Amino acid sequence: MPRALIAFVHLVEALNYRIGRLAMWGLFVLMGVLAWGAVARAGFSPQIWTDEMAQFLLLGYFMLGGAYALQMGSAVRMDLLYSRWSDRTKAAVDAMTIFTLLIYLGVLLWGGIESTQYALEYGERRRGMWRPYMAPIKIIMCIGIVLMILQCTAFLIRDIAKLRGVEIKERHA
Amino acid sequence: MSYEMIAALMFGSMLMVMLTGQRMFGVIGFVAVVAAIGLWGDRGGHDLAFAQTIKLMNWFPLMTLPMFIFMGYVLSESKLADDLYRMFHVWFGPVPGGLAIGTILLMVLISAMNGLSVAGMAIGATIALPELLKRNYNKLMVTGVIQAGSSLGILVPPSVVLVLYAMIARQPVTHLWAAGLLPGLMLAGLFILYIWLRCRMNPDLGPVIDPDELAQVTKREKYLLLLSGLMPLGIFAVMMVPFVLGYTRLVESSVVGALAALAVSVLKGRMTWAILEVCTKKTLAISCMFLWIILAALAFGAVFDGLRAVDFVRALFMDNLGLGRWEILILMQISFILMGMFLDDTAMLVIVAPLYVPIVRMLEFDLIWYGVLYTITCQIAYMTPPFGYNLFLMRAMAPNEVSLGDIYRSIIPFVGVMILGLSLIMVFPQIALWLPGVLFP
Amino acid sequence: QSPIRWRLQTYAGAALGAQVAKPAIDMFNAIAGDEMQIDLYYADQLVPTEELFQAMQRGTIDAVQSDDDSMASPTEVTVFGGYFPFASRYSLDVPALFNDWGLNEIWAEEYEKVGIKHISAGSWDPCHFITSSPITSLADLEGKRVFTFPTAGRFLSQFGVVPVTVPWEDVEIALQTREIDGVAWCGITEAYEVGWADICSHFLTNNISGAWIGHFFANMDRWNELPEHLQKLLATCFEQSHYYRQHWYWAGEARLRTEGDKLELTSIPDAEWGTVEGAAREFWEEIAAESETKAKVVDIFRNYNAAMDMAGRPYRYS
Ligand code: NA
Ligand code: NA
Repeated sequence: MPRALIAFVHLVEALNYRIGRLAMWGLFVLMGVLAWGAVARAGFSPQIWTDEMAQFLLLGYFMLGGAYALQMGSAVRMDLLYSRWSDRTKAAVDAMTIFTLLIYLGVLLWGGIESTQYALEYGERRRGMWRPYMAPIKIIMCIGIVLMILQCTAFLIRDIAKLRGVEIKERHA
Repeated sequence: MSYEMIAALMFGSMLMVMLTGQRMFGVIGFVAVVAAIGLWGDRGGHDLAFAQTIKLMNWFPLMTLPMFIFMGYVLSESKLADDLYRMFHVWFGPVPGGLAIGTILLMVLISAMNGLSVAGMAIGATIALPELLKRNYNKLMVTGVIQAGSSLGILVPPSVVLVLYAMIARQPVTHLWAAGLLPGLMLAGLFILYIWLRCRMNPDLGPVIDPDELAQVTKREKYLLLLSGLMPLGIFAVMMVPFVLGYTRLVESSVVGALAALAVSVLKGRMTWAILEVCTKKTLAISCMFLWIILAALAFGAVFDGLRAVDFVRALFMDNLGLGRWEILILMQISFILMGMFLDDTAMLVIVAPLYVPIVRMLEFDLIWYGVLYTITCQIAYMTPPFGYNLFLMRAMAPNEVSLGDIYRSIIPFVGVMILGLSLIMVFPQIALWLPGVLFP
Repeated sequence: QSPIRWRLQTYAGAALGAQVAKPAIDMFNAIAGDEMQIDLYYADQLVPTEELFQAMQRGTIDAVQSDDDSMASPTEVTVFGGYFPFASRYSLDVPALFNDWGLNEIWAEEYEKVGIKHISAGSWDPCHFITSSPITSLADLEGKRVFTFPTAGRFLSQFGVVPVTVPWEDVEIALQTREIDGVAWCGITEAYEVGWADICSHFLTNNISGAWIGHFFANMDRWNELPEHLQKLLATCFEQSHYYRQHWYWAGEARLRTEGDKLELTSIPDAEWGTVEGAAREFWEEIAAESETKAKVVDIFRNYNAAMDMAGRPYRYS
């Protein structure tokens, strides 16, 4: 395998690992914001920002954490046949069908970029009392989708390497 | 090409590509975006997939999902349930099949503290299974008990599956949870009845515990163990009481529950940084799996809606087959159970439910009641081969002496019991609807 | 030759949409036949309501039925979408304002700037307080925690009303658990339909707006591609839809007030309610100061309402 590709795989996986770890701990930020909303409402005055901030946090959590979750192999597969195949067969089939993910994520990104452009151009805000700008969360979602695409590309390179008899080392963790 | 053809083609190609074993969310999303662009590519179409993120964001109860998943992991990773198991062990040991009955009760308590069946499965397989095998319990009985018992996690509140169903059926989560409680307890009761009857007829299946072993436990210890039963009740109360009294909202009570479980594990000295890290990491992994499948399935659903696929399914059932409303419902449940053999419950939820819920609504059945039927069907799907989440977990967690064949055979009587429970709730809807009726008049 | 096919998504859910959107679309499809067919989608079916505007602008969705606010339209007139306090007293005020007092022209111009054809505006239900304790004076409003629209919330806070944001799906539970004391969101029809009437006990007959303003819009390119007779047919069917709602709500709201047994009616005396109306005029000034277009709309509201006051009964009774 060309060394550049191997370096790319390691770079992508290291990046996704770090960002994913950050998103992972975001769970407690989400808890904090929701808990603060409840405490403030019971104690003094209802906060207008906590609900929407929590919604943004959940989106950020699974969009930025998505690539790391993929790395961990958490995505469900229908393994009726898959579980019976050899590693080589798995790699060969995965190398072809990974395009389903790449195409889905690509179209998702296409829509995301358009939607982000719209949010920036018109200064889109969310309805309600707080009215936060929508562009930041849309940008974060686009970044998350890009990270997922990079991770899938890394999977593809790993599978091709496996078919050529090369094992790319796990180095990110 | 007619819309019906396209819809059928979408569904068919999705199942085909899924068979390759590629990640499910990618397959669902792929079929959705290809169809959307193929159909409406000349004017938009490609933006449908991304627009679903906003739909997902708007749906507030979805935030309970990572919370209940985290709660379950805290419970299983920090081994909070050890004392609980011991309590049932000591108290039910002298009854024939008593340890199996105790395991079902343990599962009920665990179900009240988490939203999925994973935690029950993990606790059952790591704590209960080795103990029961050591005491010569029949291995088919034991593996069946753990799989059936842990599946109660999605029926007894809190339930993540009912949260997702609520999103699709647009019904209040609180009503659904209330509706799930009695059927969950009823199923537990039927499981216990089955175990007791079987073990009475054939005491070798679940031998009584050795009196010498019990003699080692002092009376004082025996009663102290009862206190450990307060822990799950306490967590459940801390989570639910402020909610019922109106101090916290649904999502906030899920946070309270997660924090309460965390607090108990810290107080009991069971929590370490390493365990917290594992819980947090696994929560991310499972939450992402769910959320990405939901996101992809929302896109699939939007295209299906765009094709009027519901009209097509409706026409098939009503006009072409000329069936009455109960016949259609029963047919739907059967098709659901059949699909459950091949599909994961998440996939069933996000792909099949959006097709069936409008039909149930049109047939004027109660959607809260149907949510319970639906969840029990998902429980069955969890356990039926060849494709079942619980089966795989069991295979991964069980010791070597339990073969895959054993696991497959072990669930047969319990699936029978669940189908009986399902029929009872169909015939007597009040089993599900009585409690929400009382709580939310 | 296959018919022209349009996708129209309404902001209304399936139950309400069956009344307020479906009859008109069915009528259009029956008349247009092989020439053109419209597929109707309810709230959030294809895209979430917040994304409706963008989807229509890009052409993913050809036409939309919504108010300006719900679909988050990026125009100067969005603040008037839904309920602008005291802009109208009766539902008939809306068509009068749009067709005879010049609002149609302003809306058409504002939407044309962003690539959208504004087809027509119509009125829906009035905006009332539906609460779990009686309101008989302005003092009763003090401290009431109410689920309401952003604009209304901003306006009502001066009377001690505490606007609370709750996700719409949680309103029912928030009412049950007393997190909120009521809603200022709709008329009595919707309160019965979504079940809030089962939890609340009182309905205040004084309204802060006579009618919610809903519109039909279309993507400008799609609209221009249509032959003229289909444009006319569309406009006519949508007019018919507005007309249907006009009597459906007018008769229905009164029927539930008189025959419905779930909500007890209370009123604040007209003289006292005049304070709120007066405050609304000041609120209008605030909005008018924000831009030239808003000033123009507010001006029309002001002149129209002054004329109605002068005309006396049956236009205005106080
Ligand atoms: Na549960
Ligand atoms: Na299955």
